[in-house]
Amino acid sequence: MILSWPTIILEISSLGIGLLLLILGLVFTSLKSKATLGYFSIIALLLMLVGSFYLPSGATQTFINNFYVQDSLALFFKQLFIVSALLVNTMALRYMKPHTNNRGDFFALTFFALTGMMMMASAAEFITLYIGLELMTFTFVLLTAYKKHDLKSGEAGLKYILLSAVSSGVLLYGFSLLYGLTGALDFSSLVALFAPTSSPLLVWAIVMVLAGLGFKIALVPFHMWTPDVYEGAPTPITAFLAVGSKAAGFVAFIRVFFQVFAVYSPIFMPLLIALTVLTLLIGNLIALAQTHLKRLLAYSSIAHAGYILLGVIAYSKLGLSAILFYLLLYMFANIGAFAAVAALVINTGQDKISDLAGLWKSSPFTSVVLLVSLLSLAGIPPTAGFIGKFYLFTELVSRGYLWLAFVAVGMSLVAIYYYLVVIRTFLSGSVAEKTSMTIPFSLKLVMLVSVVMTIGIGVFPGPFTDYLLKVAQAFLG
Amino acid sequence: MIGLTHYLIVAAALFCIGAYGVVVKKNAIAVMMGLEFMLNAININLVAFNHFLHPNLVLGQVFAMFIVGIAAAEVALGLAIILSLYRQRHSIAVDEMDILKW
Amino acid sequence: MSLLSYIILTPFIGAAMLVLIPEKQTTFIKLVSALFAFIGLALSFYLFLNYDKSLGGMQFVENIPWIKAFAINYKLGADGLSVSMALLTGIIWFAGVLVTWNLQERVKEFFIYMLILVGGVFGVFLSLDLLVLFIFLEIAVIPKFILIHIWGSGKKEYSAMKYTLYLLAGSAFSLIALILIYIHSSTLDVTQLALITYSVPFQKFIFFLLLIGFGVIVPLWPLHRWTPDGHSSAPTAISMLLAGVIMKLGGYALIRVGIGVFPAGAAFWAPLIAVIAVVNCIYIALVAMVQKDLKYVVANSSISHMGYVLIGIAAMNTISLTGAASQMFAHGIMAALFFALVGAIYNKTHTRMLADFGGLAFQMPRAATLFLITGLASLGLPGFFNFVAEFLIFAGAFKVYPVLTTVTILAVVITAIYVLRVVQQMFFGPRNPKWDSLTDLKGIELVPLVFLAVILLWFGLVPSSITNLINQGIDPIVAQIGGAL
Repeated sequence: MILSWPTIILEISSLGIGLLLLILGLVFTSLKSKATLGYFSIIALLLMLVGSFYLPSGATQTFINNFYVQDSLALFFKQLFIVSALLVNTMALRYMKPHTNNRGDFFALTFFALTGMMMMASAAEFITLYIGLELMTFTFVLLTAYKKHDLKSGEAGLKYILLSAVSSGVLLYGFSLLYGLTGALDFSSLVALFAPTSSPLLVWAIVMVLAGLGFKIALVPFHMWTPDVYEGAPTPITAFLAVGSKAAGFVAFIRVFFQVFAVYSPIFMPLLIALTVLTLLIGNLIALAQTHLKRLLAYSSIAHAGYILLGVIAYSKLGLSAILFYLLLYMFANIGAFAAVAALVINTGQDKISDLAGLWKSSPFTSVVLLVSLLSLAGIPPTAGFIGKFYLFTELVSRGYLWLAFVAVGMSLVAIYYYLVVIRTFLSGSVAEKTSMTIPFSLKLVMLVSVVMTIGIGVFPGPFTDYLLKVAQAFLG
Repeated sequence: MIGLTHYLIVAAALFCIGAYGVVVKKNAIAVMMGLEFMLNAININLVAFNHFLHPNLVLGQVFAMFIVGIAAAEVALGLAIILSLYRQRHSIAVDEMDILKW
Repeated sequence: MSLLSYIILTPFIGAAMLVLIPEKQTTFIKLVSALFAFIGLALSFYLFLNYDKSLGGMQFVENIPWIKAFAINYKLGADGLSVSMALLTGIIWFAGVLVTWNLQERVKEFFIYMLILVGGVFGVFLSLDLLVLFIFLEIAVIPKFILIHIWGSGKKEYSAMKYTLYLLAGSAFSLIALILIYIHSSTLDVTQLALITYSVPFQKFIFFLLLIGFGVIVPLWPLHRWTPDGHSSAPTAISMLLAGVIMKLGGYALIRVGIGVFPAGAAFWAPLIAVIAVVNCIYIALVAMVQKDLKYVVANSSISHMGYVLIGIAAMNTISLTGAASQMFAHGIMAALFFALVGAIYNKTHTRMLADFGGLAFQMPRAATLFLITGLASLGLPGFFNFVAEFLIFAGAFKVYPVLTTVTILAVVITAIYVLRVVQQMFFGPRNPKWDSLTDLKGIELVPLVFLAVILLWFGLVPSSITNLINQGIDPIVAQIGGAL
């Protein structure tokens, strides 16, 4: 048995830095020295990000017996996770200050979540996948419930752990059935063992895996936790959940459904299509009734899971690269929107949509950021969201799902309505009593990066689409 | 002779009882117990499959061990949050957790 | 980078410059936006002069690969049709900035959004790739939403949302059409698309989608509901741009993409368009007749006038299409002038209700003169470019739809009735002492109005300079129809 340690260098460094931060949090006694831990975590993430570009990306490497692979898909997702963790930690620098006096553990926890996500990206075997998933979930539960004296935060944490435990129970039941049917748990053996014919038990197993992973990407009807947890969690963590946790759910989803269950696509596809339509409908329609910005973004993130799943339904290389492209732009748009929410919460302590009135005056910069991010989520050019939707819908229609494209485009219109309601609130409104907002530099930086990337990817999508097409080609062979 | 089917039926029954408990119980600790039922049902499944169908592999046993470990972590985490909530609300009834809705 | 890129970039660069200016310095902001508007006008006029009429076809073509994975290029080009539309945009943009000279509220943002809007419009008229065209079309939508919502009047919240949802619902249909075209031909380059042969059912389906998508903008009769509210609630400069150029985007795209690429589909749906055109002309003209609000009269008259464009498109021959495009140009200037006048008068009187006016010719003789000129242009009196355009349309369309065209000519009569009624109610009759305190239009207020009126008269005297140009753009499109039928 050969262990190829260099393939898991990112996971090791993430875990190591997390542990180091915990220790440093104990070693540093003065509050002032503890304040440096956040900066330390950001520098560490930056170094990891730079280092990740020097990792060999072409060939598939395995850590041990095909159980743990490092291919270009995994690398792309790991870079995505690192960037989101970077932006989230920068956002949290000032935001989390009032909530903790030993700030080491918060940043350490984000690294553990990052490690879990990375394991999900590379796992090529169900036990590893499960452990990565639970590492990520448990850390997120802690982060969600981090504001100890906030009732919302605790309630969200409890709801999250109970519901995610149920979902992992369902997922594990599916895994156990798969094991019983085949005697294997690693993806390459499973692919070799699967016969084109299916048994009812196998269908059950697939449905249960779909339900379990559907929970992570907030697929309707497994989305119930999303709005509550998004609202209760501290805003940077909500952003991390919306971006990182969802992307991690998708990478597992892609590996399992594009690779392992490829033979059975005729079996699960009708179910997946039904759930996708349901996700698009429920996510967008319930978002219409929201009065809190974070809950609105939660329902919009449910709806976006539906859009991304359209790429899975297309079930092709281009469909896969469209998913990756969409996840990338979705990350920047969402982080931008949540950073604007964070700016609002820091200044007013509120996150109701009506509290946004007068934002154009009190902070023009934040209002531009929110405008661009929401337009990108709505899919209006020149933001990246439009190219992403065009890419997804094109691939969907070319696979013959014209009716589904009509549903998706129609639901985009509904989405545009509720985004416009938010946009018109913060672009108008009385301003006499509003003073200008103070926004910490770190938060401004996050907003700037997300806006530049959202418009940059929208105006120059070429390099990104080329690269992601290569990733998809390498993955699907 | 007790065969694989018996084990699977027991496991399925246990899983359903656990799921039922999760859905109907109002006490958060009782809900956690339901979750434990579900996870142990899966363990029975895995170990039974391992014993009857793939006796020369240990994969099912290993998976079961992992699940036992992770389930313990889950309970620890859940109880910690329940405790923290109890300090503030003096209640652990899940149906009273209604600050967040819609 | 060719001239066309510079034209498109001018407003965007202007917007970027405005971002850097502190918002307190409103005069400087206005000067900078006027400067960029003038550069835009000058560049589009330069394009108009330098377009080689002896050569015809697409000129100033610029082709840069944009998304290689999709084979989408940033391709620009101008033929006679685009050149005239770009000139129209330049003229109305410049006039629009001058009209807004007295704006006090959130000046900086107003001009930034206006510049982005204009940039989008230029982009639509000058791009030759459907995806790029569509993107520019969408870029123009959201700034208008914001402009109407913040700087509008009346039930502006409702109008802004209604307008945006109508337009985006329309673009949902054109987006699906775009995707289907792309999947069919793996390119969205308009010139290449025109060379490909499509099956007739495909053409019918695509043209139907495009008809809805672009028809909302024109606007086509049952989809026109956003227009009266949108035009009336928008601030003056934006009403001018809406009626002057935005509505023309729909007609332009229908001719360029609808007829130019899918002639068989267009031929199939043409009778429907012709019938809708008649409804547009007659029914909306009747609606305009019963309006009490001056701006609603003008807004409805715009829809009614776009009916002429539609029947010109439906007839699908050289004369009628040249007439349709000329009408877009003529009506663009005329509608902008109309809205500018309404805005100028509203600024003085603070009312738009027809019943409140009367005898204004005593206090505001210049406004009355200009209003009369515009009114006469709108009912197509010889001497104005509108007459030439309408004559071409009717001459071309009569051969194809004799009955419908004859009915449409009735609309001219109805237009005459309501225009003259408005002029009579507002300016003539006994002197109303209520308005004695009013001063007549003067100085900067008068500049854009006279500028637009002069252009209207100028092209009325030498219509061939524009019609020949448009004709050169139309000819290849008509040849395409001939090839397909």
